Amino acid sequence: MFCCSYILLSDRWRCTLPFIVSSDIVKMAAAVTSRLTAAVCRQFQRVVTVSSHTQSQYAAQASSKFHSCQRRRMYDSWWFRSALNDRALHTSCVRKGLEDFFDLPENWGEQTVKSGAPWTAKQLRVKSNEDLHKLWYVFLKEKNMLLTLEQEAKRQRLPMPSPERLKKVERSIMRLDTVVKEREDSLRLLQTGQERGRPGEWRRNVFGKTFWYRFREHPIPWYLNSRYKRRRFFEPSHVAPYTRLSLEKYLRSKIRKETRENRNQKRLAAMFPKKTALASDH
Amino acid sequence: MAKRIIYPLYQLGNPQLRIFRPTFNLTLVRPGKEQPPDTVQFRIPLEMTKFDVRNYLEKIYSVPVAAVRTRIQYCTNKKRNHLNQRVKRPDYKVAYVQLAQQQTFQFPDIFPEKDRKHEEGSVEEMQEKFMEDERQRQKPDPRRGGVTEWFGL
Repeated sequence: MFCCSYILLSDRWRCTLPFIVSSDIVKMAAAVTSRLTAAVCRQFQRVVTVSSHTQSQYAAQASSKFHSCQRRRMYDSWWFRSALNDRALHTSCVRKGLEDFFDLPENWGEQTVKSGAPWTAKQLRVKSNEDLHKLWYVFLKEKNMLLTLEQEAKRQRLPMPSPERLKKVERSIMRLDTVVKEREDSLRLLQTGQERGRPGEWRRNVFGKTFWYRFREHPIPWYLNSRYKRRRFFEPSHVAPYTRLSLEKYLRSKIRKETRENRNQKRLAAMFPKKTALASDH
Repeated sequence: MAKRIIYPLYQLGNPQLRIFRPTFNLTLVRPGKEQPPDTVQFRIPLEMTKFDVRNYLEKIYSVPVAAVRTRIQYCTNKKRNHLNQRVKRPDYKVAYVQLAQQQTFQFPDIFPEKDRKHEEGSVEEMQEKFMEDERQRQKPDPRRGGVTEWFGL
């Protein structure tokens, strides 16, 4: 039994995942102002409605939205007010949790729901890592809510209100991912000098093409891996002439493109010489 | 967890794998068939497992989960487009989550009928008025007492 995993190139894979702590990942950051405008962002609206009530409840809500089920917003919850919930006075946490899969009750049945612009990478770069971590979960929950809404709209055969929100959230998520990757890359470069997180090397495949092969982790060395040995990372001798031919083809097409461009420019210069442009100015 | 990513190999004694930014999306759906009151139905990505669903709901939504059952729904590859090519509808996984602590969940009505009052002078209000006038014009003559135009002179 092997105690260590055999990586194909043993010591190159350094994990440089930063500093983001996984515990308490779901705190609604009061400091994080959501980009979707204050009037209509669901979670921001909840904060706004809460602040009109007593201070203690606001503090409770702001501190731990998702962990203190019992203290949460009983006055404001639409689940609490609905007829279904009148029988038992126990505030069931599950309704608070599953509420997040739906929009605010005021927005149900509307034709359009207003929302602001998506986050840009420039705005996200200013944020700290903890803020980005929290924002990731805000985006995730928003996207879940929108997907639920979309599916229900399809089921009821009605138009989904404001479907552009989905695209906005998706773009924001992509940009956040880009920013985090940038930070990870720079950290890795500074700490280890590695350009890529996942080790790899340039190899030649059976067709004679050179490609970047990315390593995988295996519990056994490569010479015991029968499936890996069947993969051929060399070009057979009968394929070798074709690499030269394909290279020549590629170079020829490149040169042809350049000559075509030059000829076009010459023709245009002949049609519109610079002297006439200058002469017309006077 | 994340989609389309190779996870580090696990061997006995390795630390617990932690994913800091999951990319999985859960969709709450209305059940097609009648489900028990404590069951919630989700559509989840194919790569997710029962343990992933449980952790996801407990950690991110703080929903107490008693049991999760999953199945994969195969969707058709039979439909053809205008070029007679087969078009695949993507498969998805369905998770039936049973809530703990005797909680219940009823899928709400998200599209209630709302009578909208349009603001004065807006395009929608003019359109509404126009449609009302059209409908009034299409109605039969009330003096005929419900008798159709087919009879009479």
